Amino acid sequence: MSEHAIEAVGLRRTYRSRTGWLRPQRREVEAVRGVDLTVGNGELFGLLGPNGAGKTTTIKMLNTLLVPSGGSARICGYDVVTRTREVRRRIGYVFGGDRGLYDRLSARDNLRYFAELYGVPGREQRRRIGELLELVRLDGRDDDRVEGYSRGMRQRLHIARGLLHRPRVLFLDEPSIGVDPVAARELRQTVADLAATGTTVLLTTHYMAEADELCGRIAVIANGRIQALGTPAELRRHADGRRVLEVEAYGVTDRQLAAIRTLPGVREASMDVVGAAQVLGVQSDAGYDVQADVLRALDGVRLGRVTARQPTLEDAYVAIVNRVAEERPIEAVAA
Amino acid sequence: MTALLRLIGTGGVIAYRALFNWTTPAMFVGTLLVGPLFQLFFFAYLGRQLGVADDRFYIVGNAVLAASVACVFGGTMAVSNERRFGTLGHVLLSPRSRTAIFLGRALPYALNGLLIAVSTLTVSSLLLGLRIPVTALPGLLLMLAAAALACGFFGLTLGAIGLRFRDVWLVSNVAVALLLLLTGVNVPAAGLPAGLRAVGGVLPITHAAEGARRLVAGDGFGAAAPALAAELAIGLGYAILAAALLKLFETESRRQATLETV
Repeated sequence: MSEHAIEAVGLRRTYRSRTGWLRPQRREVEAVRGVDLTVGNGELFGLLGPNGAGKTTTIKMLNTLLVPSGGSARICGYDVVTRTREVRRRIGYVFGGDRGLYDRLSARDNLRYFAELYGVPGREQRRRIGELLELVRLDGRDDDRVEGYSRGMRQRLHIARGLLHRPRVLFLDEPSIGVDPVAARELRQTVADLAATGTTVLLTTHYMAEADELCGRIAVIANGRIQALGTPAELRRHADGRRVLEVEAYGVTDRQLAAIRTLPGVREASMDVVGAAQVLGVQSDAGYDVQADVLRALDGVRLGRVTARQPTLEDAYVAIVNRVAEERPIEAVAA
Repeated sequence: MTALLRLIGTGGVIAYRALFNWTTPAMFVGTLLVGPLFQLFFFAYLGRQLGVADDRFYIVGNAVLAASVACVFGGTMAVSNERRFGTLGHVLLSPRSRTAIFLGRALPYALNGLLIAVSTLTVSSLLLGLRIPVTALPGLLLMLAAAALACGFFGLTLGAIGLRFRDVWLVSNVAVALLLLLTGVNVPAAGLPAGLRAVGGVLPITHAAEGARRLVAGDGFGAAAPALAAELAIGLGYAILAAALLKLFETESRRQATLETV
């Protein structure tokens, strides 16, 4: 048995595209620019990053759907380019969203088909499919067509499909996207149970709380490179020496946000929209009290609750990603 | 061996149910049973008007051709609908033989094609008054089966192109038109320019239609056997071509990232 479930060294992927016939234009996009990664057997590893950071491309190279432009990767000791069949026998792949299932078939028939494709022996299929339908709580609806399933049910069926052949490594690419909170909680429990049984899980997600709760180690990828790697506690140190001010507001303009970013002591400022309200998050050096300056910059804007708190993993993530966007060097964090 | 047969048999049937758009009764009857019948009537009555050939020529030829609709479009759906459902990536992640997975998919379409051809021949013969010798029936069934199988693999070849080009329906529509024109089903092969006749010679249907006409004319199985062998050889050729294209385009898609977004 290989020491590592997943090993990647200098993994790169460049997409080349051509548009137009008479005057063809060629474009090259470096999606992944040298990813080094090792994930131990039985580890639950998180890969976080903004949209377009290279998460899915990295997973597609690791699961053999894409050939790397450079570098190498091994799954359970097998090279992902030259030993694809051995790799595929050992991996499961689950991604979020509504697609990826045969809508006209029932859950049971979807699983029957993929059981054939993934080489589950005929005599084991019925029992294995029954076990998985029970695990993902779809027993009782298993003979209904998938086209009538909710997103949460589809997501659970995706997981069942990914586990059919008892993979040693499971890739979960944003599995909880668009899933309601109750279903997301059930999903997290299922993932935690899997890791507890020794399955190696590589999880990508945009939900920091999910990564914080589940993952033993997390890598933050941005701009095609791993920017930080460590346990959730270690990553939180990227926001050490800071504090966070959150302001609920209605009608903050881009100009005001830009002005807040230039205030003395402010390290990051971001804005989310929650319902009708905007939530302005301002990270500042702990030695500065920026509240008065921020409120002054928001003069004329209707404000709601104003709170100050300690930084979370999400704040650390925002700090890392924003530094990359500004092309500032990233400080090393011990793994 | 059992596992391989399960993949081809059970896997093929489940894939057919999952991916073939015309399995609902209305679509099946309307598109696959009634549609080819009216096409046959159109050419039979046109033939009568123009005096190009007799009813037997059009009935037998169009009945054999009827096998192609389910196969050509089915083969295309077998790949393009994978893109639509977003399942292509999961299929390609299978560690099992691509040849077995995809060639197994052609078989239900071939059976479907055979059913349609038999139904079209039976109904049109009854309605237009064509008498088929009873002794010709086993050979005729064999000929229709060979045509359906060859069409199934031809359809899969078109489907394989769908791994590389997203607008594969364009290819299917052109292919159906070519079968109509070049297989000698409605335009006698002797009336085609040599180049087009040569293309027709490597398409499915052409040899089966010729053999089926000989059988219905009462020439005996011996006279039709070379046509049967030629049709089976054409079918085998397309099976090999489909397997090679699937392999080639899958490899290329991993290098060029031309797969669907999964």
